[in-house]
Amino acid sequence: MIHFETVTKIYNAKNVRKLILDGVTFTFEDKHNIAIMGHNGAGKSTLMRMLAGIELPTSGRVRRDEKVSWPMGFSAGFNGTMTGVENTRFVARIYGEDTETVLAQVQSFAELGESLALPISTYSSGMKARLAFGLSLAINFDCYLIDEITAVGDHRFKKKSEAALKDKIHDSRVIMISHSEKTIRDYCDSGILLYDAKLYFYDDLGALISDYRKFC
Amino acid sequence: MIRLLWLQIRVIAALTLRETRMTFGTSHVGYLWAIIQPLVSISFLVFLFYLIGRQSPYGTSLALFFATAILTLECYNKLSVSLMRAFTSNKSLLTYPMIKETDTLFARLLLIACTFIVINVLFYGGLIVLGLASLPAHPEKIVMAFLGTCALGFGIGTLNAILYQRSQAWQHVEKIFARPLFFLSGVFYIPSLLPPEAVAILRWNPILHLVEWTREGYFANYQSEVLSVGYPLAVAAVLMLAGLFWERISRKQRV
Repeated sequence: MIHFETVTKIYNAKNVRKLILDGVTFTFEDKHNIAIMGHNGAGKSTLMRMLAGIELPTSGRVRRDEKVSWPMGFSAGFNGTMTGVENTRFVARIYGEDTETVLAQVQSFAELGESLALPISTYSSGMKARLAFGLSLAINFDCYLIDEITAVGDHRFKKKSEAALKDKIHDSRVIMISHSEKTIRDYCDSGILLYDAKLYFYDDLGALISDYRKFC
Repeated sequence: MIRLLWLQIRVIAALTLRETRMTFGTSHVGYLWAIIQPLVSISFLVFLFYLIGRQSPYGTSLALFFATAILTLECYNKLSVSLMRAFTSNKSLLTYPMIKETDTLFARLLLIACTFIVINVLFYGGLIVLGLASLPAHPEKIVMAFLGTCALGFGIGTLNAILYQRSQAWQHVEKIFARPLFFLSGVFYIPSLLPPEAVAILRWNPILHLVEWTREGYFANYQSEVLSVGYPLAVAAVLMLAGLFWERISRKQRV
């Protein structure tokens, strides 16, 4: 589970103060696949970065007792001058996984073939996303954070990714940001509305989506 | 606790490996340049002074006298400059929650320290093989001076990293301070033989002490009037604590 304890997050960008979370106490319970909804700029991605532990709250604490992924969906965190193989090994190492096992899984999933031995700077954005996705699947997280599933690769690869992710959900769980009702219904069983710097929990996806439409 | 320690070791080891690749390209021999580069530039400098026909201020070997100062100074400079960019060039790494900015500092420290151990061994070893130097008289002093140099470089480098992240203009200011060090660190002279007025000013420079310490380690009878062992270590400790403390309290604003 991931527990927020009176978490406040304020952003200061160029003298504009923005309140994203206002003293929120909330527990993201185990075994729940949770959708996060909210209007553009409400701070969903920031919330996700706090779940991942990349961003610190302005005040309050975030505690997690499960292995949480980095926010998937963007392929930052790769180094352009290093090859796909080297980047893969690096990530495997910091997560304490066996490098060659992870590499073999990435190789078979991402279907990058020989390109894996080339520097990341030569990759197309699709290739990068495939590598990032394959890599996060190869490392066994308890909780996958997904920031807006984007269409990765061609139709066949998309189907393959969807199947792999659904397979993962058997043992792990997801917390995902999405605006798409279909995606949410596919993967999640409950949801959160981020509105006016507060979190509102919904057991029922129908209620979440209707409130999302009403307020956002 | 042990799990956290293990995580820390794992992260720093992975980062260090990554740094070697990043700085010197993807080929396996790329890292050799890290060693060859300073080795060649120091040899060139020594050769230049040799051509000018300078006599060694102490002992018979000009190369050895310079090396004791230049290797120390180079190690310090390398740390100070390379740590300065540790935060800004490793932004993408912060995607991974277990990597803290300080880890990138530790990784660079480890890499540069190891590199300079190899450089020191090769350079002094080379001089010994060529008959330009004898074995060091007090190796333990050389080791201590080297550790002191690393600590000082790490302290300054950490402060540089924070300042550089706040304003890129810091790199120019840093240069103003770093340039004169070549003349202030006893590279071409024996500090103890300078007039007391000069010594009174020069002894504020902690690197001079480290150079003198190295020389006392290398030469059997080198008696430094300037050296006070506690001074560079105290400066290093204060800078390190200040740097790490500032990093910690400013983390929320920076990340």
